Amino acid sequence: MKKEFTCIVCPNSCRITVEFEGSKIKSIEGAGCPKGKEYVKNEITNPVRVFTGSVLVEKGNFSLVSVKTPSPIPKKYLKNIGEITHQIKVEAPIEIGQVVAKDLLDEDIDLVATRKVNRKNILLF
Amino acid sequence: MKEREVIIIGGGAAGLAAAVACYEKGIKDILIIERESHLGGILNQCIHDGFGLEKFKRILTGPEYAQQYIDQVMEKKIPFLLNSMVINLTSQKELLVVNREGLHSFHAKVIILALGCRERTRGAISIPGARPAGIYTAGVVQNLINLKNYMIGKRIIVLGSGDIGLIMARRLTLEGAEVLMVAEKLPYSSGLPRNLNQCLYDFDIPLLLNHTVVDIRGNGCLSGVTIAQLGKRGGIVPGSKRKISCDTLLLSVGLIPENELSRQAGIILDARTGGPEVDERGQTNIPGIFTCGNSLQVHDLVDNASLEAEYIIEGVVDYLRGKLKTKEEIKVSLGEGLRYVVPQRLVNHKDTIFSFRVIQPGKNKNLVFEDDKRMIKKKFLSRVNPAEMIRIKLTSQELKSIKSIKVRLK
Repeated sequence: MKKEFTCIVCPNSCRITVEFEGSKIKSIEGAGCPKGKEYVKNEITNPVRVFTGSVLVEKGNFSLVSVKTPSPIPKKYLKNIGEITHQIKVEAPIEIGQVVAKDLLDEDIDLVATRKVNRKNILLF
Repeated sequence: MKEREVIIIGGGAAGLAAAVACYEKGIKDILIIERESHLGGILNQCIHDGFGLEKFKRILTGPEYAQQYIDQVMEKKIPFLLNSMVINLTSQKELLVVNREGLHSFHAKVIILALGCRERTRGAISIPGARPAGIYTAGVVQNLINLKNYMIGKRIIVLGSGDIGLIMARRLTLEGAEVLMVAEKLPYSSGLPRNLNQCLYDFDIPLLLNHTVVDIRGNGCLSGVTIAQLGKRGGIVPGSKRKISCDTLLLSVGLIPENELSRQAGIILDARTGGPEVDERGQTNIPGIFTCGNSLQVHDLVDNASLEAEYIIEGVVDYLRGKLKTKEEIKVSLGEGLRYVVPQRLVNHKDTIFSFRVIQPGKNKNLVFEDDKRMIKKKFLSRVNPAEMIRIKLTSQELKSIKSIKVRLK
């Protein structure tokens, strides 16, 4: 079977043609770099994406902190992770890269903050 | 009136990169003026990933990308004003700033306009119908969802296939809304191919090409829209109208460089780009006023906005040292197949990066630079797409002793 993919790794958006049977790849053409080859291999066997979203913050100068999975996760979990983010709350201060949730869906999926959130200054009087 | 060597208006991707590049070239008397309460500009609300591959060789989200520059600004102690808006700019490079402390006037030897861009609204595309609540531009929704924690609706239709619209279609889906479709007036998408792939196809959101919204219904709140197919000449195909109920209409129908200040100062704008007409180092018709980033031309990649900002600093340095010529310019003329070209004129005949957008998608094209009949450079492009900006460098050697320059797509 032959299939054309648009690579999402970088803005070049290479059109990559793959010939495969089941999960066995016969040939890959059109990939501008090794990352593209890896991308289409994954697309056929186990498509993965980086999840990005946001979770609630308590006592922060922002009400939300943006988060991502540090590495790509199976595409089928994206919506589930989206739902889970609604239930997570983190207390400020938060640093970039700080883990805000761990081992979600029993699948070793973590979420890390992609923004710095400072603690809100509370006026006492 | 306070005096500065360089004032940068706008603390987003372009403004921050310009400030850092200035400092590194030894110009340290800088001031960044930002109207929001944070540096970083639009990057703060672009929480998706895909930024920085060209500039930092790794994939970052918007806030992470901005932080790379904010850290450098902090480390170098480059001064900036937040919550401060420039309300007047003159051709004498005087500007008036308003903030909570009051009015402040400044003068600078060089002013860099890094003003960013705005979204086109419903008014700009004249959709008929009722005027209910529930109609937003994609960037506003991005701000509300990603920064302000407001969810805007449950059944959503996106009009226009610009990148922010595609990215918001995915974001809204992940937040639990139902995105019914993306309708695009043109026969091709105006977003990047990789965004179609990972934002629409991944979530089975249909993209309807040659379709648009022809009516809006709703008393108070949006209750539905009418979608129609468009024929070859742009008219509605008879019998193709469909009523669809929805509570939100998202518009992603293009960006316009923000240039109110430029106009005020008497800067000549290019009707094709919406940004100022510039020479090869981003200098406008007013000596000492430079521009870069989305206020010069709308970029599809932030990396290019940052690189452009760094690139014009060479011109800023030359200007401050009195080395920049401003006469004997050569106009860059635009031939068939191209929507615009930046720069619009050449003055110094240095190595120059030209940016273009094509008018329509195509395959196996040649981009040709000509001096009258003589070919200066030819570049083969296996695929062209209006959504993807083309950048090509011509060396000073190639530009040496040219009398005119014309670019076209063959």
